[in-house]
Amino acid sequence: MSGTAATLKKPQAALSRPVLIGAAIVAALAVAVAIGGKVIAQQIVSGLMLGAIYMTVAMAFTLTIGVLNFLNFTIPTLFMLTGMVAWGLVHRGFLSFAGGWAWLLALVIGVAVTVVASLIVERFTFRYLKTKHGDATEHAIPLVSSLGFLLIFEHLVLIAMGSEAQRFQIPFKADIHFFGLVLGGAQLLSLALAVAIVAVLTYVLKHTRMGRALRTIAESPDTASLLGVDVTRIVPVVFVLTGLLAGVAGALFTINYGDVSPFMGDHVGTKAIAAMVLGGLGSIWGAIAGGLLVGLTETLSIHYFGGDSVQMVVWGLLLAVIILRPQGLFGTASIGKGKM
Amino acid sequence: MLLEVEALDVRYGRTHAVRGVSLGVGADEIVTVLGSNGAGKTSLLRALQGLVVPSGGRVIFDGHDITKLSPPQRLRRNLALVPEGRQIVLSLSVHENLQMGAYCRDDGGVDRDIDAIYDRFPNLAARRAMPASVLSGGEQQMLAISRALLARPKLMMLDEPSLGLSPLLVERLFGLITELRGEGIAILLVEQNTHMALEVASRGLVMELGRVVLEGPAQELRQSDRLAAAYLGHA
Ligand SMILES: Nc1ncnc2c1ncn2[C@@H]1O[C@H](COP(=O)(O)OP(=O)(O)OP(=O)(O)O)[C@@H](O)[C@H]1O
Ligand SMILES: [Mg+2]
Repeated sequence: MSGTAATLKKPQAALSRPVLIGAAIVAALAVAVAIGGKVIAQQIVSGLMLGAIYMTVAMAFTLTIGVLNFLNFTIPTLFMLTGMVAWGLVHRGFLSFAGGWAWLLALVIGVAVTVVASLIVERFTFRYLKTKHGDATEHAIPLVSSLGFLLIFEHLVLIAMGSEAQRFQIPFKADIHFFGLVLGGAQLLSLALAVAIVAVLTYVLKHTRMGRALRTIAESPDTASLLGVDVTRIVPVVFVLTGLLAGVAGALFTINYGDVSPFMGDHVGTKAIAAMVLGGLGSIWGAIAGGLLVGLTETLSIHYFGGDSVQMVVWGLLLAVIILRPQGLFGTASIGKGKM
Repeated sequence: MLLEVEALDVRYGRTHAVRGVSLGVGADEIVTVLGSNGAGKTSLLRALQGLVVPSGGRVIFDGHDITKLSPPQRLRRNLALVPEGRQIVLSLSVHENLQMGAYCRDDGGVDRDIDAIYDRFPNLAARRAMPASVLSGGEQQMLAISRALLARPKLMMLDEPSLGLSPLLVERLFGLITELRGEGIAILLVEQNTHMALEVASRGLVMELGRVVLEGPAQELRQSDRLAAAYLGHA
């Protein structure tokens, strides 16, 4: 095999560049705040909040790409499912017994339903898939069937709850004032939750037996089974984590913006894919950085150039990064597998 | 016999890679399997580790029929494979690769065993925190063998371990294999380096197109004309 020579020369160079990029971005933000003052600082705060949601969804994409080499198209619909199930439960009065806490209970149930839905997707994309490593259909079938699930779930929700956007009321709106900035309590809470979840997942991947097994599968399923990893038992774990990440992101979005609709995942999903590619396919830190960067880019471009500019600026940035650094900000040269 | 293989068959669709192979490995023995490219040696070892499902035959290991067991179950019964091409996990650190070698163990002795590996291979100790991709070919082979050692094997199977190593490293590798046998680990060694393999082994088998065409004590095989003939592909 030729793996040795190609991967030999990477130790510090790969690490210092992302650090430089990060420093450059922070510096640019500092300059923007210095010029624009409090208004810009407020935009940056909202950008980071939005970015935390993109980051969480991008993590879900990254996990399935990194471990299973599979672009899971159901993630946007899983994100939406949490919001819509939560809204449905509250709206139809199923949770009136919970009083003021109904919204929270609804979101928790929403995330649970999402995890179960993700496992159903696993059944029909991987569990019964008989093709083995190397067959081209091995990658195409899960991709296409996940696209199928995207549409099925979306339209099931549509039929059950209608196509309009709905309001999801959160009773507390405690704003915190901090050096003249207004920070929503719910927003702060969700930012903290997103960061905590991503941190825990990063820790699990880096430092636990399960994490090592996942990273080994990501590089080579064959080597993993040689070492005694039961690959078919790990695949559902990936889908549970995917459902959890997408669901929590959906819950955070619902808390932050208060709007839910059967299509709410489409916009966030495409942005998260952009974030993942921007940060570097298959890289956890790439998903984190890419998510925050896309969130910032979005709010700042709305501020400077108006709402219609968002897609052009975000995707333009993505294309520019792809041309300058095809592996993404944090990616290593080999695209795809084995980089977690 | 520690390992007894009876009439093993491996098929991949229409390819019949292993055809009725029977062999035995005693508890303190080195047995070598020789044969040219495509003879079915790798398929044989992968079937013994449970990585491919044989289409026929039986495998008895340490007194139990393990024919139907999964790779983790076989690892837990202390049967380990050092695969062709080493299959080091390049994106994991050296230390993590060793931890993966003990993936199937749930006793408390893993850290102690890894320390023992580091004592034995200072090169690995010095690079424990580095990604395995920075290791040289020789170091990667050491890591692959160490990883197998962490399953505390009664039998270690090695698939062409000398491939791509310099003559000096090949010399040391075969020294290590003899050492392991001295420590009570039986060895089933697949090699293309016929000369060296027959020097350390007590017995040998020659495979051709999936069949065992020749077997006997290593000394006899070394003198056999048929061994040379088998390598030229017209025995
Ligand atoms: N996964 C597979 N699918 C289909 N055919 C295979 C597979 N693996 C091996 N074969 C075929 O089985 C036969 C035996 O292959 P095997 O790798 O066991 O030989 P080998 O003796 O190890 O050869 P080498 O010395 O080159 O490593 C070959 O004809 C090969 O093409
Ligand atoms: Mg082989």
